[in-house]
Amino acid sequence: MPRPLPRARVSSEAPSETSSSTSPERAADDDTDFFMAQANDSQSSIGVANFRDSHVQSSRSAPVPPIGRLPPEILIAIFSKLVSPLDMRNCMLVCRNWASNSVGILWHRPSCNNWDNLKSVTSTLGAPDSLFTYGDLIKRLNLSALTEEVSDGTVAPFTQCKRIERLTLTNCSKLTDKGVSELVEGNRHLQALDVSELRELTDHTLYAVSRNCPRLQGLNITGCSKVTDDSLLIISQNCRQIKRLKLNGVSNVTNRSIMSFAENCAAILEIDLHDCKLVTSPSVTALITTLRHLRELRLAHCTEINDSAFMNLPERMTFDSLRILDLTACENVKDDAIERIVNAAPRLRNLVLAKCRFITDRSVQAICRLGKNLHYVHLGHCSNITDTAVIQLIKSCNRIRYIDLACCNRLTDTSVQQLASLPKLRRIGLVKCQAITNQSILALAHPPRANHPMVSNLERVHLSYCVGLNMEGIRPLINNCPRLTHLSLTGVQSFLEDNLTAFCREAPPEFTQQQRDVFCVFSGEGVTRLREYLNRDIRTTRGETEATMYDDDEELDEDEGQVTGLMHATDLNDEDYIDVGPTNE
Amino acid sequence: MSAPITLTSSDGVEITVERAVAERSILIKNMLEDLGDSGEAIPIPNARLPRVLTTWQVNEAVLKKVIEWCEHHKNDPPTAGDDDDNRRKTTDIDEWDQKFMQVDQEMLFEIILAANYLDIKALLDVGCKTVANMIKGKSPEEIRKTFNIQNDFTPEEEDQIRRENEWAEE
Repeated sequence: MPRPLPRARVSSEAPSETSSSTSPERAADDDTDFFMAQANDSQSSIGVANFRDSHVQSSRSAPVPPIGRLPPEILIAIFSKLVSPLDMRNCMLVCRNWASNSVGILWHRPSCNNWDNLKSVTSTLGAPDSLFTYGDLIKRLNLSALTEEVSDGTVAPFTQCKRIERLTLTNCSKLTDKGVSELVEGNRHLQALDVSELRELTDHTLYAVSRNCPRLQGLNITGCSKVTDDSLLIISQNCRQIKRLKLNGVSNVTNRSIMSFAENCAAILEIDLHDCKLVTSPSVTALITTLRHLRELRLAHCTEINDSAFMNLPERMTFDSLRILDLTACENVKDDAIERIVNAAPRLRNLVLAKCRFITDRSVQAICRLGKNLHYVHLGHCSNITDTAVIQLIKSCNRIRYIDLACCNRLTDTSVQQLASLPKLRRIGLVKCQAITNQSILALAHPPRANHPMVSNLERVHLSYCVGLNMEGIRPLINNCPRLTHLSLTGVQSFLEDNLTAFCREAPPEFTQQQRDVFCVFSGEGVTRLREYLNRDIRTTRGETEATMYDDDEELDEDEGQVTGLMHATDLNDEDYIDVGPTNE
Repeated sequence: MSAPITLTSSDGVEITVERAVAERSILIKNMLEDLGDSGEAIPIPNARLPRVLTTWQVNEAVLKKVIEWCEHHKNDPPTAGDDDDNRRKTTDIDEWDQKFMQVDQEMLFEIILAANYLDIKALLDVGCKTVANMIKGKSPEEIRKTFNIQNDFTPEEEDQIRRENEWAEE
């Protein structure tokens, strides 16, 4: 049979614009890359394909069944509800009409989560006389599951796909400029590119992006440490629709490109400059001042940033969009700056000031003004803070769900008793708050709340190196917090007994023997099993309450990576260190 | 509370409903806003869906069914929004809606078409989920049987589709 092969016509030429009402977006999927986790402001669309040899379109002689009355857009809406690729594939095999209307959904995001699938997908793409031009249907390509197995050769068959909207290559660390830039070439619809940890990439790839992708909205080049200002400057000039920018660890980045982003890319919502140590205060002032939609600003370990970043914000201007500010380890940021930014950004919801070690009660008093807006606050290692400020904070900001006060060693039971009254508290970090005693824990276990059921919402409790604790506090905590899924007690002597550590999770592999000896973290099932064990024989642990002195030399592991977790937030999938994101407003 | 609204089906039957009920349909809501509240009956115009074979109408039986749904859902929070994850993510259907959708295929597709035409997103969504649930887990042949669809592939084409989409079989 001769095949004239008119290339498959894909009905939606410019997907994002034309498809908003009629063609439904693909059912939410299990992609977990950086962009997918965000609000869907850049939904991609489904292509409707025709058979390449369109002359064979069936002649309709048979009577049309009721379902035959449904127009293509409704069939597509139905197929979009299917989750399993097999169901979609089965729809393709039903009849020609169904095939045309389901193939776009199936190939919208071909599953390349293992090597066999990838080979099957690429061999179809390479076949010269395929039934559909599958390459045109791929809108999302995610190879992150294959990590270092992916080489430039692997991705070559995908260079024919010119309608990719989201390209996720996270951790495909063998890829180089050649592979990635060829993939990007010609993809005018690319909206999101995630190449984090592709350490070989250079400016070459980003130049290709800047030439080809005017609609780019999300760019994640975390860990691409060879990239410089030169290409980022061009990106900021050519990709002006950027909304999300992650430059974590791109250590060459300086004010030059960041100021240019501030100047040119007014749509930016989120920017993460974690560990971009050359970035200084003027960039921060410019970003906050000019980006009116900015909601998330992450500056962890940008150690050059100082008070002037915030003191130089224009008088009387407010920044109502800003919700998340991370200043971890920006220790040159002090009380004056915190007062200023809290006043200027009254709707801050997440505030991370861990290791801003010079801040004092004055900062905390300023933070109190955030009132109900504040949900998440990290003050770990801000050791100047006292009970007075914490108590005021709790009274002012009673919607706090997450609070970390690790190493705030001036705090006493008075603070924690107040904390226990927070009705929404889910996570509390008190690592190395050595002054606290069982009294604190009893308060957490029996929250002193008026008009509230006496059930705690606590899910994660970090008490490592709170050396004054023992079973008298912990047992009630475990029994009164039905949602507890994580309890860390590393270095707390009363719990370093074999009968209890039996329920601990494994210490991380990189821990030394000394660290292993004191490691004590219960999570998930471990908490349940510990609870059962403790209730089996209430008297076993009585009398074993003597605490030993805490040894200062064991400073390194406060908790299972509490500190390193903050430094490498992207490496951890521990919810502790990952912002809760733009959910439940 | 504003005055009730009278709707006219394509076969000329008038049905009076609360305005809040009628306004579950974005089409009607917009019409009401455009027309102002004249107190006149609103005819449901003949639907000419783009790319559909027949001219199709919301007849009395279908309109009644649609109104029944709108009555039940009139207090739902105002449009869950296009990008509401819950609506997209699953094929879960609440119990009342499941019962509501226990109708013959003829009526099921009429309801879907009416929801599409009248722009009642949540109802369209329930309809699509219902059909998707009828597809799930079935072989191609079982799907054809369920919906009375004729296989117009050649065996070679079927083979080719299987081959080209092998990755979807896992």
